[in-house]
Amino acid sequence: MSDTALKAPRNAPPRTAAARRTRRSAWSRRRDRRGLAFVAPFGIAFTLFTIVPLLYAIYESLFTSRIIGGTVFSGFGNYHQVLTSGAFWGGFVRVIVFGAIQIPIMLAIAFFFACVFDLGVAKASRLFRTIFFIPFAVPIVVAALMWGFLLEPSYGPITHLANAFGFGGTNFLSSGLILPSIILIAIWEWTGYNSIILYTALKSVPRDVVEAAILDDTPLWKIILKIKLPMVRPAIVMLIFLNSIGALQLFVEPEILSYQGGSITNTWTPIVDVYNTSIANAQYNLGAAMAVVLGLVIIVVSVASMIFRRQRGELS
Amino acid sequence: MSAVSMEALTKVYATGAKALDALDLQVAHGEFAVLVGPSGCGKTTALRMVAGLEDITSGVLRLEDRVVNGVSPRQRDVAMIFQNYALYPHLTVARNIGFSLENKKIPRAERDERVRAAASVLGLADLLGRKPGQLSGGQRQRVAMGRAIVREPAVFLMDEPLSNLDAKLRVQMRGEILRVHRRVGATTLYVTHDQTEAMTMGDRVAVLRSGRLEQYGTPRELYDRPASLFVASFIGSPAMNLYEAALEAAADQCVVVLGSQRLTLAPAGAERGGLGAYRGRKVIVGIRPEHLAAPGIEGAKPGIEGAAPGIEAAAGASLTVDVRLVEPLGSAQLVHFTIDAPEVREDPAEDTEQLAEGEIMDTPVANGIAVTGPRTPARAGSRITFGVDPGQLHFFDPDTREAIDTGR
Amino acid sequence: MTASTLASPGDTAAGPPESRRQRRKRERLQEQAAAIPVHLYGLRRGTVTLITVACVLFAIFTLVPVAWIIINSTKSQTGIFSSFAFWFSRPFDFFHNFALLFQNVDGNGTYFQWFGNTVLYAALGGGGATALAGFAGYGFARFRFRGSKAYFYVIVGALLVPVAAITLPLYLVYAKAHLINSIWGMILPSLVSPVGVYLMRTYVDLSVPRELIDAARIDGAGEARIFFRVALPLMVPGLMTVLLLSVVAVWNNYFLPLIIFTKNSLYPLTVGIGVWSQVAERSGGNSDLYPLVVMGGLVTIVPMIALFLVLQRYWRGGMLLGSIAN
Ligand SMILES: Nc1ncnc2c1ncn2[C@@H]1O[C@H](COP(=O)(O)OP(=O)(O)O)[C@@H](O)[C@H]1O
Ligand SMILES: [Mg+2]
Repeated sequence: MSDTALKAPRNAPPRTAAARRTRRSAWSRRRDRRGLAFVAPFGIAFTLFTIVPLLYAIYESLFTSRIIGGTVFSGFGNYHQVLTSGAFWGGFVRVIVFGAIQIPIMLAIAFFFACVFDLGVAKASRLFRTIFFIPFAVPIVVAALMWGFLLEPSYGPITHLANAFGFGGTNFLSSGLILPSIILIAIWEWTGYNSIILYTALKSVPRDVVEAAILDDTPLWKIILKIKLPMVRPAIVMLIFLNSIGALQLFVEPEILSYQGGSITNTWTPIVDVYNTSIANAQYNLGAAMAVVLGLVIIVVSVASMIFRRQRGELS
Repeated sequence: MSAVSMEALTKVYATGAKALDALDLQVAHGEFAVLVGPSGCGKTTALRMVAGLEDITSGVLRLEDRVVNGVSPRQRDVAMIFQNYALYPHLTVARNIGFSLENKKIPRAERDERVRAAASVLGLADLLGRKPGQLSGGQRQRVAMGRAIVREPAVFLMDEPLSNLDAKLRVQMRGEILRVHRRVGATTLYVTHDQTEAMTMGDRVAVLRSGRLEQYGTPRELYDRPASLFVASFIGSPAMNLYEAALEAAADQCVVVLGSQRLTLAPAGAERGGLGAYRGRKVIVGIRPEHLAAPGIEGAKPGIEGAAPGIEAAAGASLTVDVRLVEPLGSAQLVHFTIDAPEVREDPAEDTEQLAEGEIMDTPVANGIAVTGPRTPARAGSRITFGVDPGQLHFFDPDTREAIDTGR
Repeated sequence: MTASTLASPGDTAAGPPESRRQRRKRERLQEQAAAIPVHLYGLRRGTVTLITVACVLFAIFTLVPVAWIIINSTKSQTGIFSSFAFWFSRPFDFFHNFALLFQNVDGNGTYFQWFGNTVLYAALGGGGATALAGFAGYGFARFRFRGSKAYFYVIVGALLVPVAAITLPLYLVYAKAHLINSIWGMILPSLVSPVGVYLMRTYVDLSVPRELIDAARIDGAGEARIFFRVALPLMVPGLMTVLLLSVVAVWNNYFLPLIIFTKNSLYPLTVGIGVWSQVAERSGGNSDLYPLVVMGGLVTIVPMIALFLVLQRYWRGGMLLGSIAN
């Protein structure tokens, strides 16, 4: 404390807020810097390998390289091209359809099994949990390959099975069936993982609440749908959100299936489009613009959904 | 016919832990019975067995004379109030209270009516639209009660319903629960670890210890005639002073030797009951702090306020002690003292009050406590003589730790 | 409530050594005790059977591709095409196929080289990402410096950015910085795991009490010492989960190596097998690459599944939920 503070008249206001603030920050600034030191390694890597590339992508998206004349500034020219490209939006619609079908089916199955595990109904539920989790450890590339073999139109066993059931000539990799096939693969890959997360969420429902429901003579279906489900709603919302972001970026499955003869166009999904445009056709600037548009859509949708939920009082 | 009847009820958990050991307990219709005991003694287990939430390892449980050992909790017609209330967090107060009625498919109008009635009994009428997250602890507690009473069950089970409230609210809710109980009139089995709660609320109180029933009786009986050392030390606050002592083998008198002091019991008292058989043997003697009569400082004549008329204090029925600490409470005064007799403690860890004292005291540690009038001139470091009414002494067998019948 | 499901650092505390079987038994008992007895739900026996059947069916669905790849790893190319897919056929080519993994069959590269690359990328990338996430998560959870909130939101916001929007420009930058065909081009970006930071911050918040850190400060311990001696031991289960997630992320990564590597000796498994399958398909039945693709797939997934089975008990699925408790 300084001398002036000591000499201050007795009825003066006891130290101004500003003075208090400087005192506090002087004390804690040292600790601040130490906190920064913990964050710095990640911060540097994050800046170099996320922020800088992102900004660079935006920068690149404003140029066009011509065969004659080199790279020239083209303003929003690339964006205009992307936004008016029917193929790009076609891919967009496709991933939305994909997500709109795959995510609900997957979450329904995942929630069902999460409940089964949580209730402890099935014998050996530990074993089932382990088995269901296996696909998460399988790289998507390999998962797509395996399913590609199983669904292959000439020797694939699932094709044989379809033929045996009278669906002769079924081609799961044809343009009509490839989307359902990829939905199947994605369900295989992610159901167990989502189920385990929901299982964890269900376990945090207090036991006495369920017991109270039992004493209230609540039937099981109602305990699950009217009590447990609402209580794990935040977890489900989060999973919908994460899975949606993943779905919009669908790339590996169609790419690998295209190697195996799947009917995948160059613009099948937005990321397939980005890849083919920038790597195969070497139109980096246009590809960058596509990636930026995709990112903007994701951000706008997430922010909008967050605002919507906040308005409904679901978020604090 | 009892509303609830437990016969040799035993619970062994899958881990091998024996939580309840042959519990016998009858609760009459409309009775407010309290299960009390230190934490871990099996109270919750007993309650959950009555509710049907725990399987019964052995023994018989009857509700209204019907054996319900294998009956689902859904069919037992019992309502339970959980320690943490177990409200449905996503439902409004009204739906929380009415949830069981919804399950019974009771028509909406009737349901609303009953919910409103229950809510008004509990003073929740204005809160029906809120969610549990927007309520205070006391309000949640009321919602939990509302959820129970709206069902009009045969038996109410309450598991430490007040333990999550602050002290003041707890006292208020004690009265509230009793008021609701009288109004509804349903048989209630109430669990608590707090002996004050047990004594103030229970028509009858069962004291449990390590899964066994120590004593079951009215609060008066537990206080006046504790059946064991454990009950004696558990019931009453501050806890009873307990010392190792011996009974002198004199022929015509019965004299308690307490350290260097002697307490002469009136001959009549000595002959009664089983105490005579202990002449010449060691006993444990118990004196409630409130029964140490405040006399004045050393040299004054021992006064015997409040002694029951007819019981004459024999000469020498007094104890002289060294005062260590005086805690004025306003209406009374706690006098912590040392007496040169070995103190007996029953599960000291359970009694936090005693633990706290031990920390405050200098050596030598006080081994006794007396409740005196607020103006008794006692000072730390002084010596004081208390009058003792021999009729208020309790005796216990040092081996079995059970009470010795003095014919009271 | 979340704290209990999320943080149970006691799991890692040193106690008397407990055998595997004892641990299993204890865990099973605990799980049983935590669950409400099934009969209280009023389930009929038939329903329980039906549920078990559903579990078995889904387990079969899950295991079909795995069974297929195991069985077909023993087959020759003709065997894969023409024999019954879910049973073995002659010749038994398992060892022959396995040996192929050590050869550069079609000039596109050698499987075991890719395997080694993948292990290297996953270990350095995943391990490094975990370390950075641990530091940063602790920093965000237990320090408040100017802009810390804003930084954190930026990092969380990065979750929304499509991978392609970051990977593509990386390729362009690498082309200028001579990082094309450098293992660092793969490893360095893998160090950035915003999810990891997010998870670790939540985990630290719930499992490393502020009072503990303050007490250590009062005792005069330096910040580094507090981190390594006080906080780190409590963060272990969380770090293990983040490690699993980041290793899987690197092991799975396809887009980045696909565009930054042109030299096949640097490929990770995902890209290598992808190339093989492409070549195999293009050449029709002539290339003899199919057994290699199948065997390669098998050898890719077995270590990961094994790793998960071993590390299962460290897995804190609840971490992914910690954030939403508020
Ligand atoms: N689900 C359980 N599994 C194993 N032991 C238990 C279980 N519940 C309680 N116990 C044990 O049984 C004893 C009695 O517990 P409880 O009835 O909860 O006591 P109280 O309610 O009196 O505190 C304790 O020793 C406790 O550890
Ligand atoms: Mg209890």
